[in-house]
Amino acid sequence: MASILGGIVETVAALASGFKVTFRQMFRPTVTENYPDEAPNFQNRFRGLHVLQRDEAGLEKCVACFLCSAACPSNCIYIEAADNTAEQQISAGERYASVYNIDYNRCIFCGYCVEACPTDAITHGHEFELASYNVTDLIYRKERLLAQKTTTDQTAAGDPALSMPSGRNQSAS
Amino acid sequence: MMGETVKIRVDDRELEVQRGTLLIEACRAAGIEVPSFCYYPGLSLQAACRMCLVEIEKAPKLQTACTVPVTEGMIVRSNTEQVTQARRSMLEFLLGNHPLDCPVCDKGGECELQDMVFRYGASESRYGEAKRHVEEQQWSPVVYFDAPRCILCYRCVRVCDEGMGVGALSVVNRGVHTEIAPNHGDHLECEECGMCIDICPVGALTSGAYRYKARPWEMQYTSTICTHCGDGCKTTLSVRNNKILRGNNRDRSGINGEFLCIKGRYAYDFVEHPSRLRQPLIRRGRELVETTWEEAIGTVAAKWSEILARRNKAANNTLAETSEKRSEGFGVIGSNHTTNEENYLLQKFARTVLQTNHVDHHRTADYAALIHALANESAEQPSQAQRPPLARSKDIVGASAILLVGNNPTEQHPLIAWNIREACRLNGARLYIIHSRRIPLLRQSHRFLPLGLGHEADALRHLCGEPEATQALLGETPSGDNVTADLLNDFRNRLQEEKDVIVVFGDEITGPDVSLLIRMGSRLSGQTRYIALGDYSNSRGASDMGLLPHLLPGYRPVGDAAARAFFEDRWKSPIPATVGLSVDDMVAATLQGGMDALYVVGANPLKGRNPEDFCGKTFLVVQDLFLQETAQAADVVLPAASAYEKSGTVTNTCGELQRLRKAVGVLGTRTDLQIFASLAAAMGATLHPSQPEEALEEIRQMVPEYNIPLANVLAGGAEAVLNPNGFKPLAAPAETSGRVYSAQDTLFTSGTLGRFSNILNLVPERNIRKEPGPA
Amino acid sequence: MPVSEHEVRVLTKRFDLPNSASIDTYLAHDGYQAFEKALKQMTPESILEELKRSNLRGRGGAGFPTGMKWGFVPKESPKPKYIVCNADESEPGTCKDRLLMEKDPHQLIEGILIAGVVVGSHQGYIYVRGEYRYLLEILDRALEEAYARGYLGKNILGTGFDFELATHTGAGAYECGEESALLESLEGKRGIPRIRPPFPAVVGLYGGPTVLNNVETFSAVPAILREGGEWYAQLGTPRNGGTRLFVLSGHVNRPGVYELPMGFPLRKMIEEVGGGILGGKKFKAVIPGGSSTPVLTADALDTPMDFDSVAKAGSMLGSGAVIVMHEDTCMVKVALRLMQFYAHESCGWCIPCREGTDWLSKTLHRFHSGGAREEDIGLIEHLAKNMLGRTFCPLGDAAAMPVISFVKKFREEFEMHLSGRPCPFESKQEPATVSR
Repeated sequence: MASILGGIVETVAALASGFKVTFRQMFRPTVTENYPDEAPNFQNRFRGLHVLQRDEAGLEKCVACFLCSAACPSNCIYIEAADNTAEQQISAGERYASVYNIDYNRCIFCGYCVEACPTDAITHGHEFELASYNVTDLIYRKERLLAQKTTTDQTAAGDPALSMPSGRNQSAS
Repeated sequence: MMGETVKIRVDDRELEVQRGTLLIEACRAAGIEVPSFCYYPGLSLQAACRMCLVEIEKAPKLQTACTVPVTEGMIVRSNTEQVTQARRSMLEFLLGNHPLDCPVCDKGGECELQDMVFRYGASESRYGEAKRHVEEQQWSPVVYFDAPRCILCYRCVRVCDEGMGVGALSVVNRGVHTEIAPNHGDHLECEECGMCIDICPVGALTSGAYRYKARPWEMQYTSTICTHCGDGCKTTLSVRNNKILRGNNRDRSGINGEFLCIKGRYAYDFVEHPSRLRQPLIRRGRELVETTWEEAIGTVAAKWSEILARRNKAANNTLAETSEKRSEGFGVIGSNHTTNEENYLLQKFARTVLQTNHVDHHRTADYAALIHALANESAEQPSQAQRPPLARSKDIVGASAILLVGNNPTEQHPLIAWNIREACRLNGARLYIIHSRRIPLLRQSHRFLPLGLGHEADALRHLCGEPEATQALLGETPSGDNVTADLLNDFRNRLQEEKDVIVVFGDEITGPDVSLLIRMGSRLSGQTRYIALGDYSNSRGASDMGLLPHLLPGYRPVGDAAARAFFEDRWKSPIPATVGLSVDDMVAATLQGGMDALYVVGANPLKGRNPEDFCGKTFLVVQDLFLQETAQAADVVLPAASAYEKSGTVTNTCGELQRLRKAVGVLGTRTDLQIFASLAAAMGATLHPSQPEEALEEIRQMVPEYNIPLANVLAGGAEAVLNPNGFKPLAAPAETSGRVYSAQDTLFTSGTLGRFSNILNLVPERNIRKEPGPA
Repeated sequence: MPVSEHEVRVLTKRFDLPNSASIDTYLAHDGYQAFEKALKQMTPESILEELKRSNLRGRGGAGFPTGMKWGFVPKESPKPKYIVCNADESEPGTCKDRLLMEKDPHQLIEGILIAGVVVGSHQGYIYVRGEYRYLLEILDRALEEAYARGYLGKNILGTGFDFELATHTGAGAYECGEESALLESLEGKRGIPRIRPPFPAVVGLYGGPTVLNNVETFSAVPAILREGGEWYAQLGTPRNGGTRLFVLSGHVNRPGVYELPMGFPLRKMIEEVGGGILGGKKFKAVIPGGSSTPVLTADALDTPMDFDSVAKAGSMLGSGAVIVMHEDTCMVKVALRLMQFYAHESCGWCIPCREGTDWLSKTLHRFHSGGAREEDIGLIEHLAKNMLGRTFCPLGDAAAMPVISFVKKFREEFEMHLSGRPCPFESKQEPATVSR
C-alpha cells in the first residue's frame, strides 16, 4: 500500500516537476503571435519596407541628394532629380526626386540608406509582406513608398506603423 | 628656356627648381601638398584664400606659397602644427557663412571645399550665429549664381576677364557682403562659355543645363571631340541612362586644356531633339513616309544598280547614241562632320562602286591650296627648319608673334582666340591683325592693318613690297579707320623683324592668294608657320580624305596617272580620270536634270533654296540627322548617327588627329559607316573595311601623312598629321574648282546642328549680339 | 580749438592766424621758403640727409623712417614717378589730418613739392577720404593759389622744375587708407590691396615708383628743411624726432588735437592736457594709437608716447589717436563697437578678415546682449588669433589685435556677461548707441 501511495506521490511529484515549466507558462502572458490571423508586433527599430517621409507642411522631405543610393551596398535605389518650381513645390529644398525607385529584389534592409539620409526623408517602416509572383512588382516606385499626406501630425510624431505606403493595398491584391 | 636653378628645402626634402618659380608650383611639382582655392595656374595671383600659408624660415609670420618665388637656400615647412592649424581655421572661417546644403548643391561630390574640409578638418562647426542668406539668382539660361555658397576665390572673375577677354563678371559690395556680380545688373551679356561655372571650386555658379540632374558619381564619362567648330576641343560628356547631361573638360586633358565655348559645353542637346530623324523615309507620291531600313536600303541599291548598268551600257555604245542627252551620272556630297574613316569610305565608294569623281563637300578653307603652296615652296627652297610649317593649335601660345588675316576667331574659332589671348597675356606675344572689321581680338593686338572688304590680298602684296598694292590700301576704310602710308610701312617693318610668326587665316585667303601668303611668310626673318581656319569639326579631315572632285586622299591629283594607279591597285578597281564637279556644279546640274543620282551625306547643299524645285529632278538620297531642305527634296532619307554616337577619328583645322568615342546611342539611327557598308552590300559590291579601326588602318596605309604614331591618339590625345615638311611636290598644281567659303557661324550658331540645339537658341546673345562694326 | 601750455607748435603754428588757409598768410609766415631752399640750394641727397637727421617717422601709423622710404625710390625709372599724399584719414579716433588740410593746406603742398624735388617726380595726388569731401574746396582753392603764384605748374620759380598736383576723393572706404589699396582706388579700380613686394616705392601708381606718405608726414617736411633736421630731432626723443599731433578723445574733460613733442608722457597727456577724466571718475583704459592698437590699462600710464616706448608697453603709437575710457565703460561693448567697424570696413578680399570680422562682430553682439556661453570667450580669442598675421593686409591685424587685448586684459568683464542677462554696465550709462 505504502508502496502504491509512495508510487502515486512519486508520480505526481514527477509530473509536477515535469510540467513545472508548462504550468508556469500557463499563467504567463502569451508571447506567440497568431500571425497571419493577427497582426504581428514589431520593435520600433524593426527595418521593414521603406517610407519616404513628408514634413509638417506635407512636402516631401527628400531632396534627391543621391546619398542613399550612393550608400546602398546592393545598389537597389534609383533616383532622378528635378527642380521645384514656383508653380509646383514638391519638396522644401530646391530640388526633389522626380523618380525614386527601390528594387526590393535586391534590397537587404541594411538601413544604410536611412543612416545616410541628411534630411531624414527615407525611413524604415514596419511593412514587411512583399512576396510577389512577379519580379517587376518588387520595384517600388515613389508613389508606393511615399507617406500619405496627413492632416494631423501623425507622421511627425514618429510612429512608423501609421505611415504605411499608400499603394500597399493595391500591391497585395 | 632653362634658366638657372636654385636649391630649396621643403619639409626636409631638397628640391632643385628654376629660379623665380612660385613656391606653390615648386611644392606641387614635387608632390608636396599645398592647398589653394584662389591660386590657379595661368591666372593672375590673388593671395585671397590664405589656404597656401606655409612657414618660411626667417619670415616672422606664415607666408602665402602662391606669391613667393623661390630663392636660393629657402627653408620651407608645410606640415607643422601651425600650418595645419592655419588651414583648418581658414576652412572654419569659410564654413561660417557657407550654407551646408550639400545634399541639394549640384557640386556635391566634386566640390573642392568638401574635399578640403575632408582633408584638413574643421568638420565640426563652432559657428553659432545666423548665416547670411541671399536668394539664388539666374544670370542667363545657362548660369545660376548662389551667393552664400561663393567663397570669393575670384577664379570666375579672372577667367572671364583674363582668359576669355570678356570681363562680364566683377565684385560688388564689401566685407562679408562681397558678391560676384554680372555685367548687366541682374543678368549676363557675354559669350555664355560657362568657363566661370567650370572653374568654380564650389557650387556658387552652376549650370542651367545640368542643374539638379544627377550626381557626379552616378554618371559615365566619355571623352570625345566636340562636333561643332573646326578647333577640335576635347569635351568630356557625362552620360546617365543614355542621356548626355553635361559636357566639360575638367581634367584639362586634350588640346584645349580646360577651355570650352558654349557649343562644346552645352550644344550636345541636338542629339535628342524631337525632330531628330529616327526612321528611314521614302517618297511615295508627294509624301515622305516612314519605312524600314531594309526597304530603304533595298530601294536605293536597286535604283543605283539600275543607273550603273544603264551607264555601263551607254559607255559601251558610245558611238551609237550620242544624240541622247548627256548625263553626269552619280554625284556625291560629303560632310564636314563625319569621321575621317567615313569620309575616306564615302569617296572610295563613290570612286570605285559608283564610278564617279563628282565628289565634294562644303569647303570652308582652302587646305588643298595651302598644302600645295607649301609643298612647292619647300621644293623651291629646301628649308633648314626643324619644325613643320603647319602649326598646331597649342603652338600659338608659344609663338612670339601671330599674324591674323581675316576670320573672327572669337566667334568662329573660340579655341584659337583663347590661345591667341593666352599667348599675348602670358608670353607677351605680339598680335598683328589684317582685317576689314574691328574684331574683338583688337583688344590684344599689337598692330592693326584695317582695310576694305576683300582687300586682304592687297595687304599681302603690300607686305611683299609691291607699291601698287600699297596705293590700293590707302584712304579711309568702311570700318572708319584712316590708313596712311606710315601705318602700312610701320606694320610691314614691325612684322619683318619678327622671328617666329604663326599666320592664321580664314576664307578671305583662297586659291592663288594662298601662294601669295606663303611668299609673304617666307620673306619674314624667322620660320613662319601657318594655320588655315575651316568651319567645322572635320572640315580638314574631309579635305585630307579626298572628298574633293580633283584630289584623291592625301591631296593626290586624280589627273595624275601614277597617283591613280596607286589607289587603283589597292582598291582593286578603276578610278575615273577626269576631274569631277563641285557642289555648286552638281546642284546646278541637278536643277537642269543632268544628274542621274545625287547622294548627300550629312550636308545641306540646298540650304536657302526651295526643296520643291528639286523634287523629281534626280534620284536624291539624303543621309542626315534632321529633315533639312535637301532631305525634304529627297527620294530616300536615311537617319544617321551624330558624332557623339559613334567612334572614329577627326582632324581639326590645325591638322590634329583626335579620337571620337561613342557616348550615347539613338534608337533607329545607324552610323554613316554602317550605311555605306549596307548600301554596297545590297548592290552586290564589296566595300571594305566596315569597322572604323580597320578603316583607319587602311587610311594609314594609303595616306602616308596619316601614318603617325597612334598611341597618343588612342589614349585621348592629339597627334599632328600631314606634315608637308619633306612633302614631295606634286606634278600637277592644285586646280581650283569650286567655291571655298565660310558659313560665318557665330558663337551661337553651328550650321544645321545649331538650328536644333535648344541651348544655342535660348541664349539671348544670339540675337542681341552684334559684330563690332565701324566705330 | 582747445590749446594747452604743453604744446610745441611746429605744424600747427599758423592754425590760429586769421585766414590761415590762404597763401598770403602762408607766405607771410615762412611759406614756401623750405621749398625754395630745396629747389635752389640743396641737392636731393642733402635733403634726404636732413630728413634722416630729423628722425622723422611716418605719421600714418607704421612709423617707418621717412628719409629711408624716399631713398628707396630708384633714381632712373622708365615710368613716371609719383608723389601721393594719403589723406584718407579713417582710423576711428583720428582727425588730425583734417585740421592740417583745413587750416594749413599750403604747408602740405610745400611738403609734397619737396618730395617731388627729392625723387624727381612731376606729378602728385592728394587722395582725400570720401567723407572729407568738404575739404576739397579748401584744398582746390589752395592748389589754385599755388598755381597762380607759380609754386605749381611748369618751370616753377624759373628753375625748370615742373610739378602738377591734383586732388582725388575716395568713396568712403577705410581700406583705401592702406597704401596699395589707395593706389588701386586712385587708378580707378576697386580699392583692394596689392600683393607686396613690389612696394610702391618701386612699383606704385600706374606701375611707376611712388612716394606715399601721410598728410602729417608731408606737413612736417617744410619745417625740417627750414630749421634743420637736428633742431627737429631734438624736439622729441632719440629715434623719434619732432612733434606729433595727438588726438585726445573719449572720457576726458578737454578732448582735442594737441601738438606735443614725441615721448610726451601718457599720464600727463590725460591729466594735464586733457584736463582729467570726465566727471571725476576713475580711469579704466586707454587706446593709445587709434582703434587698431591694443588697449592699455592703468599700469601703462607712465609710458612716454613715442613709437618705441608704446611698442614696449604692448601697443602701438599708430595714428596718435588717444581714446580714454573711464570706469563705467563696458569693455565688451567697446570691443563690439570696434569689431562692427571692422566688419563694416573689411574689403572682403581675403577669407580670415572677411569671415573673421563678421563672425566676431556677431558673437560679440550676442555676448553683449546676454546670450554668451562660457566657451565663447575662448572662441573670441581663438578667432582673433586665427586672423592675426594671416590676412592679406593689416586690416585683419588691426581688427584682431584690440580684441585679443580686450579679452586678455578684461577677461573678468567678459565673464561678467555670462550671467545670461544683458550687459552689467548698461544701467550705469546713457542709452546704448550700439547699432547694427
